[in-house]
Amino acid sequence: MTQDIRCIETDLAVIGSGLAGVAASIFAHNRHIKTAQTGNTGALAYTTGYLDLLGNLRDNEDPLVSNPWEAIRKLQEQDSEHPYSRIMEQDIRSAFKEFISFISVCGIDYSMPEEMNLDALTPAGTLKKTMSMPATMRAGVEAFTRKAPCVIIDFKGLKGFSGKQIVANLKTRWPQLRCERITFPDLDQGEVYPEVLARALEVPAHRSQLAAMVKAVAGDAKFIGMPAILGIHRPDLVMRSLQELIGIPLFEIPTMPPSVPGIRLRELVEQAFPEKGITVIPQQKVLSIDWSDKRAQLHLNDSYGLLTIDSRAVILATGRFISGGLEACMDNIMEPLIGIPVTQPKSREQWYRQRYLDKQGHDIHRAGIEVDASYRPLGPDGKPMYENLFAAGIIIAHQDWIRERCGAGIAISTAFKAVESAAQFLSQQ
Amino acid sequence: MSDTKIKSFSFKELAIELLPEGASFEACLTCGLCSSGCPASGLENMDPRKFIRMAMLGMDEELSQTPWVWMCTQCKRCQHVCPMNIDISQLVFHARGNWPKELKPSGIVRSCELTRSNRSTSAMGIPPDDFVFVVNDILDEVREEQPQFKDLCAPIDKKGATFFVNQNSREPMSEPEEMVPLWKIFHLVGADWTYASKGWAAENFCMFSGDEEAWHDVISQRVDAVNELGSKIWLNTECGHSYYTMWNAVNRFNIKANFEISTLISYYALWIREGKLPVNSDWNTENIKFTVQDPCQIVRKAYGESIAEDLRFVTKTLVGEDNFIDMQPNRSANYCCGGGGGFLQAGMTKQRRIYGRRKFDQIAATEARYVLTPCHNCHSQMEDIGEHYGGNYNVVHFWTLICLSLGILGEKERTYLGPELLSLGL
Repeated sequence: MTQDIRCIETDLAVIGSGLAGVAASIFAHNRHIKTAQTGNTGALAYTTGYLDLLGNLRDNEDPLVSNPWEAIRKLQEQDSEHPYSRIMEQDIRSAFKEFISFISVCGIDYSMPEEMNLDALTPAGTLKKTMSMPATMRAGVEAFTRKAPCVIIDFKGLKGFSGKQIVANLKTRWPQLRCERITFPDLDQGEVYPEVLARALEVPAHRSQLAAMVKAVAGDAKFIGMPAILGIHRPDLVMRSLQELIGIPLFEIPTMPPSVPGIRLRELVEQAFPEKGITVIPQQKVLSIDWSDKRAQLHLNDSYGLLTIDSRAVILATGRFISGGLEACMDNIMEPLIGIPVTQPKSREQWYRQRYLDKQGHDIHRAGIEVDASYRPLGPDGKPMYENLFAAGIIIAHQDWIRERCGAGIAISTAFKAVESAAQFLSQQ
Repeated sequence: MSDTKIKSFSFKELAIELLPEGASFEACLTCGLCSSGCPASGLENMDPRKFIRMAMLGMDEELSQTPWVWMCTQCKRCQHVCPMNIDISQLVFHARGNWPKELKPSGIVRSCELTRSNRSTSAMGIPPDDFVFVVNDILDEVREEQPQFKDLCAPIDKKGATFFVNQNSREPMSEPEEMVPLWKIFHLVGADWTYASKGWAAENFCMFSGDEEAWHDVISQRVDAVNELGSKIWLNTECGHSYYTMWNAVNRFNIKANFEISTLISYYALWIREGKLPVNSDWNTENIKFTVQDPCQIVRKAYGESIAEDLRFVTKTLVGEDNFIDMQPNRSANYCCGGGGGFLQAGMTKQRRIYGRRKFDQIAATEARYVLTPCHNCHSQMEDIGEHYGGNYNVVHFWTLICLSLGILGEKERTYLGPELLSLGL
C-alpha cells in the first residue's frame, strides 16, 4: 500500500500534554510561535482542578502555607537549588495570570491568584491550601469560611465521593453542614461516574430534573455542595443555569479520579488548541529524536502510522514516573527519551525513608534533570545538551511537588521561563 | 438453543502477547478513565476496567462467556483516554472470534457470510450484475430527468482510472437515488473515477465477527479488484468501518496493494480548497445549526486530528462558520454512537439504545437541527436513537449538503432532509 510518512514542520515542538506542556503551548502561542504539541497527558486527567503554588514548606514550624509568596521567599533562602529559587516572583505571577486568562477565555473560568492561599475542600472532607481554583468551586471557600448552613449532595452509585464522610470530618468545625443522597435522573443502574453525570448536565432538560430533586432536599441551606459534575466543556454555564433553577449558590468539590476537572482541562486543550492553530497530536509518545543541523526530528507512531515533527526547538515536559518522563530501573533512575543525566540518590537504598509519611519526604521525589539559566537540560559534562532543547515541569530536579503542594506552580512557571528562552533562541536564528 | 459451548482461553496470555514493546498491563493504575469514558460501561455489569482486571486475574471463563464483547463497539476510546495507552479492544476482538459461529449474533454472521457469497463482496448479497444494472438504470433516469446532467457518468470497470470508488450496499439495495449526489460531485470536479463490478462493496462484518480468516479473504478480493483495474487510489465513500477494515487489513495481513487508500472527506476538503467544488453557505439564510459526528473508524482509529480538521473545514464552508456547533467531546475523543462494531446488526436493540444515550445527549446539548456524518452506521444509529429518545434533528450525508449548496440536488435525492430544506433550490 502506498502511504506517505507525514511530516509536520514547526518552530517549537512541545513534548508532553500535562500541565507544563499545555502551559508551554499556551505561552508559545501567545508569543506567536508556531507550535506543535504531542505526548500523552500523564496525570493531567487526575487533577482536582486546583492550581497549587506552594502549600507546604517542609522546614517550617507550621508546614501549612497561608501566604505562598512569603513562603517562596523563605524557600529561596533555604534551598537555592529549588526551581522556585531560580525564578523571579514577578515571573511566577505573570505566568499564572497568563495561563489562567487563557483557560478562562477558552471556557473554564478560574479565580485569579491572590496574596493568600485558599482553603480548598477535598473529597475526604479535609482542607488543602491552594492558589487558584475553578469558579465552579469558589463558593465552597466562602461557605466554609462563614460556616453557613450547607448541604452536600452525593449520588447513589457514585463511588469515591461520600457526603457522609465529608460531613463527618468537618462537622466539629462546621456544625451546620449536612448531607443528602439522591439518585441522578434516569441513571439508577449500577456504578455511575462523575464524567457521565457531568455530560448529562450539559443537556438543559437534565438540569431541570436535577434541580427539582436538589430543591426538595435543600431545606434551609444557604449553599449546596456537589461532587465536581457541573458539565465538562461549559462548567460555568452549567453552574449558573443549575444555580438559577435551584435558587441557592452551588459549589463543586473535586472527586477521586477519574475526575471531571482533569477531563475538562484535557478536552479544553483538544478543542481550543486546534482552533487557535496549535497542532495537537494527542496521546502519542515520541519514540525517538534525531538532532541534526540545528533542527530536531521527533519520530512518532500514531494510529495512522509513522509521523515526524520537524522542529527548530523542543520543550521537554514529559513529567515524572507515571507519564514516563523518568524511568526507575533496578539500580538507577533515567530519562528515557533523550538520555539526559538524572540527579538522584546514590543508591536505591536511599530512594525512600523508612516511614512513608516522614516529614522530610523521600529523596526519590527530588530526583530529576538539571537545567541551566535558560532551562536547557544539562548533559554529563554539565553543559547544555542541545542549544535548542529546553525543559519544563516536574521533570526538573530539586523539588518535591507532592509534599510541597507546588505541582501546578512549578509546571506553569518553568514553562513560562522555558518558552521565554525558546523564543529568544528562535528569534536569534 | 444448541448445545454448543464457548470454550475459554487465557485472556492474560493473549493480552501480554498483544502488548507493544515496553508496555505492560501492570502499568494499569485502575484509575477508571476507560470505564468512565465508555458508553458500554454498565451493560452486562461489565466495563473496560473490569474487563482488563478480570483478564489479569485469570477469570477466563467469565470473559469468554460475556455477551458484553458484542456491545463493546471496539471504538478504542478507552485506549485513547488511558494514560498508559492500554488497548482493550484487541482483547474484545479475539473474544468475539472465540465464540462458536452458532452462538455469535446471527445478524453479524449472516452479513459476513453474504459478503463471501458473491464477487461484489456485498454484505447484502447484491451480485455484480444487479449492481451494474441498478447503477445504469439510475444513471439513465437522471440523464433523462435532469437535463443539466445529460452527460453524467458512472463508469464501471474502467481501467487505469485514478479513483476506484467503493459503494456501501445500502444505496444500490434500498435507496439508489442516494448514489446520484456523489456522481454529480465527481462530474463537477472532473474526477477520473470508476466503480467495479467485482469487489465494489464497502462493508465488512467479517471483521466485526472476529473472524480473521474471513476478514482477510474479503479484503484480498477487494484489493485484487483494485489492482486489476490499476487505479491509483481506493476511495472510500461516506462509510467509516469500510475504510478501517480495508486500511487496517492491508497492514495487518500484509496484503500487496498497489494503491493508496483514502477517504472522500479528504478529497471534499481538497476540492473545496482548490476551488473545484465551489460550495458556500449562502443557501443557509435561516442560520440552521449543524453539528458533526466524527466516525471513530476514520478519526480516532485511523487518521486522527488531520481528518477531523478536514471534516470541520468542509462543514463550516457548507453551513457557515457560525452555524457549526461542535459536539463535546469531539475529534479523537468523540464518543462512538453505538452503531459500530456490528452493534446495529447484532439484534441487541435495548442495549444499543442505552449505549446511544450518550450520543443522544451530546447531540441534544448542541441544540443543532442537523447532524452531518460521513458514516452509514453512525447515520443509522443516530437516526434510531433520535427517534427513540425524542430528538429533534435529522442526520444527513455530506454529499446531500454539498449538492444542496451547489443548487444541484434533485428532488429524489432529499430523503434525509427536514421539511425546511425539502424544496430549497428545486
